[in-house]
Amino acid sequence: MLYQKSATELSAMLARGEISAVELTRSVLGRIEETDGKVGAYVTVCAEDALKQAAAVDSRRARGEELPALAGIPVAIKDNICTKGVLTTCSSKMLYNFKPPYNATVIERLNAAGAVMPGKLNMDEFAMGSSCENSAIKLTHNPHDLTRVPGGSSGGSAAAVASGETILALGSDTGGSIRQPSSCCGIVGLKPTYGSVSRYGLIAFASSLDQIGPMARTVGDAALLYNTICGRDERDATSAHHTYPDFTKCMGKGVKGLRIGVPKEYFGLGVTKEVEKAVLEAVDALRAEGAEIREISLPSTDAALAAYYIISSAEASSNLARFDGVKYGYRAREIDGLIDLYEKSRSEGFGDEVKRRIMLGTFVLSSGFFDAYYKRGKVLQQKIASEFAEAFEGCDLIATPTSPFTAFRLGENVDDPLKMYAADICTVTVNIASLPAMSIPCGTGADGMPIGLQLIGPRFSEAALFNAAAHYESLVGGFNKIPAIG
Amino acid sequence: MNEIKIDINHIAKLARLKMDEEQAEKFARQMTDIIGMVDSLPAIEGTATGLDPANPMTLRPDVVVVSETTREEILSNAPQVEAGCVVVPRIVE
Repeated sequence: MLYQKSATELSAMLARGEISAVELTRSVLGRIEETDGKVGAYVTVCAEDALKQAAAVDSRRARGEELPALAGIPVAIKDNICTKGVLTTCSSKMLYNFKPPYNATVIERLNAAGAVMPGKLNMDEFAMGSSCENSAIKLTHNPHDLTRVPGGSSGGSAAAVASGETILALGSDTGGSIRQPSSCCGIVGLKPTYGSVSRYGLIAFASSLDQIGPMARTVGDAALLYNTICGRDERDATSAHHTYPDFTKCMGKGVKGLRIGVPKEYFGLGVTKEVEKAVLEAVDALRAEGAEIREISLPSTDAALAAYYIISSAEASSNLARFDGVKYGYRAREIDGLIDLYEKSRSEGFGDEVKRRIMLGTFVLSSGFFDAYYKRGKVLQQKIASEFAEAFEGCDLIATPTSPFTAFRLGENVDDPLKMYAADICTVTVNIASLPAMSIPCGTGADGMPIGLQLIGPRFSEAALFNAAAHYESLVGGFNKIPAIG
Repeated sequence: MNEIKIDINHIAKLARLKMDEEQAEKFARQMTDIIGMVDSLPAIEGTATGLDPANPMTLRPDVVVVSETTREEILSNAPQVEAGCVVVPRIVE
């Protein structure tokens, strides 16, 4: 079936005229119809528009036009990325009816490349969560075991990619929201260097940490999608001035002499024995290929989660102040004056986790507590970043687990925020230090659920990440396997 | 550090959120747990700038550009519209 193939294969088949974009899009839409009732990855399916986009690509190709590699490839989008005229809910009651009047920069880039959008994907409300259970719209189930969570917050993206309900997807990552669900669903996810992908049109959670990135079933596919979305955008003031290589050509260079650091601090932290074993076996496999493995130390790791929740919640409380029921989104009925309109609309429109983080952020920024919490968090952030910088003097990449445990059962952690936050313990440091990191599958646990290996690099080292990840992928005979659903 | 008492009603007011007592109590408890993570941190010396010297932000020139978005498109998301304007409760008596 076409939906089972990689974007790289499909792109070549499309270019050779062996298949049409409409056929491919039909295959993916058929898979969504067959499977999404069980998986629940999509908030909105755009069947008609997707077929129109595909037909447009086919007619351009029929005219003999030279088309970009992504032309005709289905790329589904996390529901916090603005798509003009298409519902963008952030999986929140607050934005239940919001149709953006503009496209995010990444959507403009995908459109220019001729990508096809099958629909918008479920997530934890406003990207706050690690299981997709904070969605106000629906539950998403892990394609490998429908009684388990897909991870989060980009859980819909990970589940759609893993189940073959799309070929590629975009997610966003503030503290692990691309990598942790990728790990839970056994796919490849890249959180790019901060500033490399425009955030224009990404509904903000924590602006200094948010980054959009590719999710795919193969490393090469992630590179293909990353090629299209990275680059300078003047509408995002934090967008970096940087020249990027063609990442699809950065793989296949081997790992001989590659220095991989293994930080001992990442193997405490509630990391299960089976996850530790799988990750260290993957590192050993790379050692056997000529990589040099070095034990390193990142001493502030266990403090990172606290710094992360302080900084991200502070930024969230400011960013989410804009949702007031006035110009767009949810407005409460039967209100008594303007303040009541604000308070009722926000209290009825936001879910519990979002409120908890707004409250936490408001608290740490409030008079009398700012120095004790927010300022301390920012100092710690700098310390974590400089520890990474020091570590990268002695190694090229760092290998850690992505998630300390495999996907847990739906409902298991819903009422215990600290337990839920622990899922992000290995990933938040990367956002805090603005680094790129990738999660790739490295085996399964006793429960049959996927385990993820996280590779972290210095800023703008995506080429090295793709190369090392692709090398491991070829060692294990490829990742692209869609599980039987149900 | 001593245990912090969070004035949940004051914070809720600042955040423009309303909650009943049961919820306020639950939030206070959970927030105290999260804050506890920070209180357990060792004292760290240093200053934080928050700016990245390797990639200073570049602001776009402050010039007026014509938007492609129409008034109708923007107002189509508003909860209540009258005569091309967003309707809000009376704020001046």
